[in-house]
Amino acid sequence: MNSKMNMSSFPSVAKLLADRLELDVNTIHPDTNLESLGADSLTVVELIFDLEDEFDVKLGDERPALVVVQDIADNLDRLIKNKTAS
Amino acid sequence: MERVVITGVGAVSALGLGADTNFSQALSGQSGIDLVQLPFSDDLACGVAAQIKYVLPDLIKKSEGALFDHFALFAWIAANEALQQSGITHDIDNEVNSGVFWGTGMGGAQTIEAGYVDLFIENKKRVRPLSVVASMNNAAAAQIALRVGFGGAVNTYSSACISSALAIGEAFRHIRHGYADRVLTGGSEALLTQGVMSAWEALRVLAITDPEDPARSCKPFSRNRTGLVLGEGAAAIVLESLSSAQARGAPILAELVGYGASNDATHITKPDSAGQARAMRKALADAGLAASDIDYINAHGAATLAGDQAEADSIKEVFGAYAKSLMISSTKALHGHTLGAAGALEFVLTIQALRSQAVPPTAFLEEPDPECNLDFIPLHGRTNQKIRAAMSNSFAFGGSNVALIAKPFVYL
Repeated sequence: MNSKMNMSSFPSVAKLLADRLELDVNTIHPDTNLESLGADSLTVVELIFDLEDEFDVKLGDERPALVVVQDIADNLDRLIKNKTAS
Repeated sequence: MERVVITGVGAVSALGLGADTNFSQALSGQSGIDLVQLPFSDDLACGVAAQIKYVLPDLIKKSEGALFDHFALFAWIAANEALQQSGITHDIDNEVNSGVFWGTGMGGAQTIEAGYVDLFIENKKRVRPLSVVASMNNAAAAQIALRVGFGGAVNTYSSACISSALAIGEAFRHIRHGYADRVLTGGSEALLTQGVMSAWEALRVLAITDPEDPARSCKPFSRNRTGLVLGEGAAAIVLESLSSAQARGAPILAELVGYGASNDATHITKPDSAGQARAMRKALADAGLAASDIDYINAHGAATLAGDQAEADSIKEVFGAYAKSLMISSTKALHGHTLGAAGALEFVLTIQALRSQAVPPTAFLEEPDPECNLDFIPLHGRTNQKIRAAMSNSFAFGGSNVALIAKPFVYL
């Protein structure tokens, strides 16, 4: 996992989560559990939809396990990297 | 059979927020109808609506926003008011004995149209992920149930303009026959969308904007009526068995005593007085009341030429010579036709009329239609009346009719 060194999308994920859940962005860390923030599966689906638009990537049919905030950022970073490579 | 009482009411419409506000506005003849203010207004021929333009109370979290089409948001606002009045919070102990029966004509139509705009106007390749759960017709009932923890039967009724009257009537039977201790019932509608308004306009049943005062465009039972005015909103009622209400020490606002439903079975849109009369007669029989026991009728009175005429005829048919003694009004002149929410909103106003022994007017009835020659309470509401029982009529495209009868609560 190189994402912790290269957290390109984490600030965007945290900012959007903080906005949606009306939380202080500083309380959201890479290892923060999504459920503990109050982000249920529907909140996460909405969040990913907007992040896909923001970064112009598509998770497509993938169903990755998303437990902590960094899991979302990791998946986005991978897709962004693949897009850049192609 | 259980007696069924009303222990809470709530309303949100163009007349304002809250059941008391809605009734005081209606009683004083204040119109919630005005020029429609929406991004597509210029493309519509119909220029008026009973549109909610004030800021709504902040009852849901921002993260829940995508789950709530306006019809569900209106629903929760009205339901929350009714539940608070009834003294019900999260009733987890009685969850299996508590239900939600809700009416809506087209549910989350705004969400569906927004999806079409994304796909076909914005040329996006996808719609938002919560489109399904926000637009489904049972979204309002489900959101109410999960917020208050009602785990009994949660049903949605969709029969055009009788939807919420039907929900109330079926909830009444549900409690009466012992299937539940209480049901949060009512209805909501949020159809001031470009597609829906355009469709109503094409049907040529919408009122022409009054050239002098748009607020006066809906004129039920008037000779110069030109059609209905679309409205939006919600109304909620907590129905409860008398034994449950008394055990909880809940406030008892009135008693629901009769429900009648029928279908014209004659035409998909043209109203039939015989079909309407069947619903009213069934409600009277259900209540064990004679026609002469009713003092006030909140009429369907949508201000269409054929509809008002049919209703005047059906009232005469059911009430005979006594029809001339009835006080009858259509409050749609003020809050517009809220379609699937209409039955509930007008039933809440009927309950408030019983509680205050005052009747709202048929506003703007300056030129009575000689064919509708009953006491339609023209122009001004009346206070200090004796109302022993009141009927609320709701009729719909598809030929569906519902009449509900309520009385002040008297402990026997």
